[in-house]
Amino acid sequence: MNFKSILTFTSSVLLALTMLVSCSDDDNGSSDANPPSLTAPESSNNPNLIIGDSADLTFNVNVPGGYASSSVDATNGTASITSEPSVGSTSGNVVVNFTANTPGAATITLTVTDEDGMSDDATTAVSISEEANQVLLNSNITTDTTWETGKVYILGGRIAVEAGATLTIQPGVIVKGEAGTGANASALLVARDATLNANGTADAPIIFTSVADEITPEQVAAGDFTSPNLDPDINGLWGGVIVLGNAPISAAESPAQIEGIPTSDTNGLYGGDDEGDSSGTITYISIRHGGSNIGEGNEINGLTLGGVGTGTTINNVEVVANQDDGIEWFGGNVSIDGIVIWNSGDDGLDTDQDWIGTASNFIIVTPQGGSAFELDGPEGELNRGCHNFVNGVVYAGGEIANLVDFDDNTNAGLTDVYFYGFSDTYMATEEFSPVASFGGDGNCESANWEYTLAEGGAPVDEIFTGVPTEALTEVAANGNSVGPDASNFGWTWAAQSDALESIGL
Amino acid sequence: MNKLLTIVLTIAFVVLSNDVFAQQGTIRGTVIEEATGDPVYGVTILVEGTSTGTTTDFDGKFNLSLTEGDYNLKISYVSYTPVTIEEVGVGSGEVTIIDNIRLQKTVEEMEEVVVTAEMMNISEAAMITTKRKSANMLDGISAERFRTIGDSDAAQALKRVTGVSVEGGKYVYVRGLGDRYTKTMMNSVDIPSLDPDKNSLQIDIFPTNLIDNMIITKTAVAEMPADFTGGIVNIETKDFPDEPIIDVSLSTSYNPSMHFNSGFLGYNGSNTDMLGFDGGTRELPSGANVEGIPTPISGNSEQEVNNFVNSFNSNLGPNELTNPMDLSAGVSLGNQFSVGSDNAFGYILSGTYKRSTSHYDNYRYGEYQRQSNPSEYDLIYATKQNGVVSESNVLLGGLAGLAFKTPNSKYKLTGMHLQNGEDRATSFFIDNSVDAPGQSGYLADSYNLEYSERGVTNFLLNGVHYFDNAMWEVNWRISPTFSTMNDPDIRRTAYTRSPNGPRFNAGAGGFPSRIWRYMDEMNVVNRVDITRDYQLFGSGAKFKTGGSYVYKERDYEILKYDMQFFGAIPTLTGDPSEILQPENIYPNGSIYYQSGNPDPNPNAYSSNVSNTSFYLSNEFNLFQNLKTSLGLRVENYVQRHTGRDALFAQGDPSGNNLDNEKVLDSFDFFPSANLTYFLTDRQNLRVSYSRTIARPSFKELSFAQILDPVSDRIFNGGLFSIDQWEGNLTETRIHNFDTRWEMFFNQGQLLSLSLFYKSFDDPIELVRIQAQQTSSEFQPRNVGDGEVFGAEFEFRKNLGFITESLQYFGLSSNVTIVESIIDMTEQEFRSRKNFEKEGQNVNDKRQMAGQAPYIINAGISYDNPEIGLDGGLFYNVQGETLTVVGGSLFPDVYTEPFHNLRLNMNKSLGSNASVNLSVSNLLNETRAEYYQGYRADKQIFSKYKPHTTVSLGFKYSF
Repeated sequence: MNFKSILTFTSSVLLALTMLVSCSDDDNGSSDANPPSLTAPESSNNPNLIIGDSADLTFNVNVPGGYASSSVDATNGTASITSEPSVGSTSGNVVVNFTANTPGAATITLTVTDEDGMSDDATTAVSISEEANQVLLNSNITTDTTWETGKVYILGGRIAVEAGATLTIQPGVIVKGEAGTGANASALLVARDATLNANGTADAPIIFTSVADEITPEQVAAGDFTSPNLDPDINGLWGGVIVLGNAPISAAESPAQIEGIPTSDTNGLYGGDDEGDSSGTITYISIRHGGSNIGEGNEINGLTLGGVGTGTTINNVEVVANQDDGIEWFGGNVSIDGIVIWNSGDDGLDTDQDWIGTASNFIIVTPQGGSAFELDGPEGELNRGCHNFVNGVVYAGGEIANLVDFDDNTNAGLTDVYFYGFSDTYMATEEFSPVASFGGDGNCESANWEYTLAEGGAPVDEIFTGVPTEALTEVAANGNSVGPDASNFGWTWAAQSDALESIGL
Repeated sequence: MNKLLTIVLTIAFVVLSNDVFAQQGTIRGTVIEEATGDPVYGVTILVEGTSTGTTTDFDGKFNLSLTEGDYNLKISYVSYTPVTIEEVGVGSGEVTIIDNIRLQKTVEEMEEVVVTAEMMNISEAAMITTKRKSANMLDGISAERFRTIGDSDAAQALKRVTGVSVEGGKYVYVRGLGDRYTKTMMNSVDIPSLDPDKNSLQIDIFPTNLIDNMIITKTAVAEMPADFTGGIVNIETKDFPDEPIIDVSLSTSYNPSMHFNSGFLGYNGSNTDMLGFDGGTRELPSGANVEGIPTPISGNSEQEVNNFVNSFNSNLGPNELTNPMDLSAGVSLGNQFSVGSDNAFGYILSGTYKRSTSHYDNYRYGEYQRQSNPSEYDLIYATKQNGVVSESNVLLGGLAGLAFKTPNSKYKLTGMHLQNGEDRATSFFIDNSVDAPGQSGYLADSYNLEYSERGVTNFLLNGVHYFDNAMWEVNWRISPTFSTMNDPDIRRTAYTRSPNGPRFNAGAGGFPSRIWRYMDEMNVVNRVDITRDYQLFGSGAKFKTGGSYVYKERDYEILKYDMQFFGAIPTLTGDPSEILQPENIYPNGSIYYQSGNPDPNPNAYSSNVSNTSFYLSNEFNLFQNLKTSLGLRVENYVQRHTGRDALFAQGDPSGNNLDNEKVLDSFDFFPSANLTYFLTDRQNLRVSYSRTIARPSFKELSFAQILDPVSDRIFNGGLFSIDQWEGNLTETRIHNFDTRWEMFFNQGQLLSLSLFYKSFDDPIELVRIQAQQTSSEFQPRNVGDGEVFGAEFEFRKNLGFITESLQYFGLSSNVTIVESIIDMTEQEFRSRKNFEKEGQNVNDKRQMAGQAPYIINAGISYDNPEIGLDGGLFYNVQGETLTVVGGSLFPDVYTEPFHNLRLNMNKSLGSNASVNLSVSNLLNETRAEYYQGYRADKQIFSKYKPHTTVSLGFKYSF
């Protein structure tokens, strides 16, 4: 009895295990045979189609078990197989002809079956636009690409120029972001080791705006850079432009992940040790109506520069109605000459993580809730000196928070800046000090601030709190001796709409 | 058919009239074997001096109908020493219960055992016997004890069990191991969590009046699922009542600092809030769940945009109300009776309703950071919040069960539904520091309206069949569970303070937003267990085999809408009721809503699991006093996922997309061995080993990118490759070693000491992603290997040994002490080393997240049946526990010990009624979690005061 029971026990264990082992394999098919495999054409190399257009897409197939048949499925259009390998062959190409019928991102999925009945599939995508001069983008840019004058490029989501690729944007190009917030926000992201050559000119700037903006390439070609339908205070309609590089940053971790991009997208990493790193050249660009958020306090700036090095040339940048900051630097070394920030939803210019560069010839007009300057210093061990703001104008307006927000560790200096346009109720309160922690860490010089107070408004010491009198000079309205020459900004929307002239510039 | 008619008629008879059997009474009892605790089949029960008698069924139960009077019962069975029970009283129309009649094997010439009926009723004896004789290590608590302690829900009651801690009043952790390592079951089948972020079920939704007992299994046996490590909590709902029950209970609680508070925050909910679900006022407007909602730039007409904004509930902020006291009521009905000569039929119906409110005046949250300078030790704040939190909670539950017993089979059908609605309104002042890295600095006033509705519906069909004189037992179960958890319309509105008055600033306090979160889960368990009693090595042995098939399916989705302004933001005063006014809504004003939901939605997924298992085990006595249980379980576990990342959602096929693809396919062996050496009849020494598993959850094995609207944290699925993490998240395999010495005394007194050790291969922790400093992002990853060493001590002692007058007093305590060690990943170690302070030496090991270093329960109880008074003073505390793992800028967060002292008294008023008084949190303690840093002052992560609550209850049994 005893022996028998033990035997029963043992043998049933073995039996059960055998059963389960064989069960666990049943939905894998027979694993020793070789299933077919196929490669779809790279989506970013596929042509952009306009409704009614057709294109041939070639899938490369490998069928160890012998080719039997293919089938194709498509969205936003119709697809048919026009050429396929002969039955029984082990490799070859399947050519699919796709005809576009609905604007948006089309996917074409090919399924190949071998003679043993095993199959595999692969998918490629094609972007379909409504109009001839519109190009819709749904995929990251992985090979060198040029966006051409006279066309409108639509960002169908967050489009990254990936490492190794160069995106060239010709003068007068209009880039429009689709609407959405959160995971839905559209943006142009230039990853580390990727290059953006966006060289607009004073006669043909490159405009980044929302799909809702009816501005056309023809209008730009005619010298009119204003929006025909959107007011200059409408923000949050799309994301923004993010440029990332390998220059040093002072943060708890380097590389770090840029604000506004979830870490699962590794194109969002920035920072390194190459001060001279180049992300390309960016001139005469105007970024409008952007700044949609991906989480609380996590918005996209008009122009975000993370670890961008001195090999990069940036000048003449306008940011209009961005829901977050106008321009924000996260470390790096790049300088910018020629800046207009108009109606930023949060701060005008924002610095973090030990940016070492100079912003010169800038105009900040009516921040809509944040500060004109939100200046922070190193966040890690690295502390390399000063960043500077030289020769600028700040028109405060009625919604501004701080004028200049230094921290105790801010390594920044402001010289030759003219402040005016205060509301008559603007003054320091228990909670606010218009100039917070003047001078920051004390190592960088701030000097030669000119100002004009509001009639009937608060006196100078209730506005320029903590600023030494020797740094301050009162001047008559628009009687400033510092600040850029507004005539250099004729290419901006702010100038063309008379917003600059109306404040005496 | 005839049988059915008989049943129906009998029910009608019994329910309608108790007077029919006016002269008759009933004796019911259970006979168990002393050595094993198992019921004995076929025992003869004879009423002395009469020819009336019966035999026990396969449950060891018997049933005798007698006329009023006192009787002696003679209980006998071949090769066992007979027992005589004297003075068993039978009252007219009443049921007398004699549980735990123990039969001992006749070893030598032994006299007959004679006891009186009164001596048989020993409080909690059944649970102690189960514990003493079980093959594996378990602890438990039964319905009798809930009453003594006065706990109203399962979570409160479980706190009393050795090694159990309850987090947030909801989640049960065993031996201090975190949520991932605890499993919750109901009637021995899996039941899913109602929180998408947790593994274990919120146990507070089980009212104690639906529960028969709860058993916590601490060492594995082959018939239990393998995916637990700390313990399995099994809630057994009420079944066949031994005596007729018609109970009605009512109770109320008063917390002087919470109730009748005129500052209580609330808002107009829906008409059905009082029943625990939303009646439609929080429903997602039709047309909102598409990508292209009407906006000023969507191509829709102005009127369509206006109508769409107006289709959202316009209420964005709380009002001040006065809240009432808590109230709860319960009713239970049940009975059993004979059908024909051999069959028994039983039913139970139970309903419960509870409405409670909580109000916290100075609720605080904080986010603190380390400073990068190695000589600066203080933690600096990024954000501090303080404000008011008000909560209303409604719980509605019902259970209906039928049971039918024939001489060889037992069938049980139960249905249960629990519905819970929790309304939460908050008002906070937010202070964001300009000085902390990555922070822009602002002050804001924020208002949140949140509602969470949870529902569980469970059915169980269970059959037990006995063959061959009860030598074979076949037990099968089919149990589907349907659960939902919805958070409809979480509304967040924050006014950023500015020199020009309150306003909305997307870069500071944020724009108003609203969120809908949905989760649906279906869970079907099929299980068969077969037990064979036989003789091995000269004594009784049990061979068990069986298997189960579990299928689970979950759908999850978050939809988010941000308020946007097409042009100037309206002039604001700071009162949220001003916002969605007609003049502010586009095109009259600038307000519109923008969708944060691409189609397909990366914030949504659906997953399913099928788990097929099979086991064999053998329980036998290797030597006379060595009970051995050896088992092997195999599980074939396949998890599939449907979901995608944001890149795929925007139309890029190079993004990640899973379409019902296998993300986990594992086939594992789980051996277990439990050895019990009966040192004496009342003293055991146990040793056990088992291998168990902890698997990643549905959302962990995914490419999901989920922004949690409540914590504002971003969750990244474990399949993403980020930093050095390659995205191959795997299961955790655990080796468990346990040993326990235990000694049992009469009247439920006991003493036990346990030691345990567990090793974890590839444990999963939620890791903060260090590269992201401006927002909080987390990802589940396998971290370095872990180890846990622990000891448990428990005693329960009656104080009658000191002096006779203390005989009604009892002292009990259980203490668990645990040391846990985990090897940090290279990345975590480096991130801590980078922020090492002067004088600090950062180690590459730390305690496991969520693992409490100690848990103490202690109590002094009083139980005097003569005057019908019982009660006690109970104390409970859990040691400082690592709650959020830090690194780099972010300090670790620890939960502070909460010293909970509770007083409870029950007094019976006659034989039918009783009153209960309890006072909780007598020490007026504060609940707090703190950031800690080297040589730095602690800083608040969260903190609130629950205050002292007084509850009064009344129960009447008909």
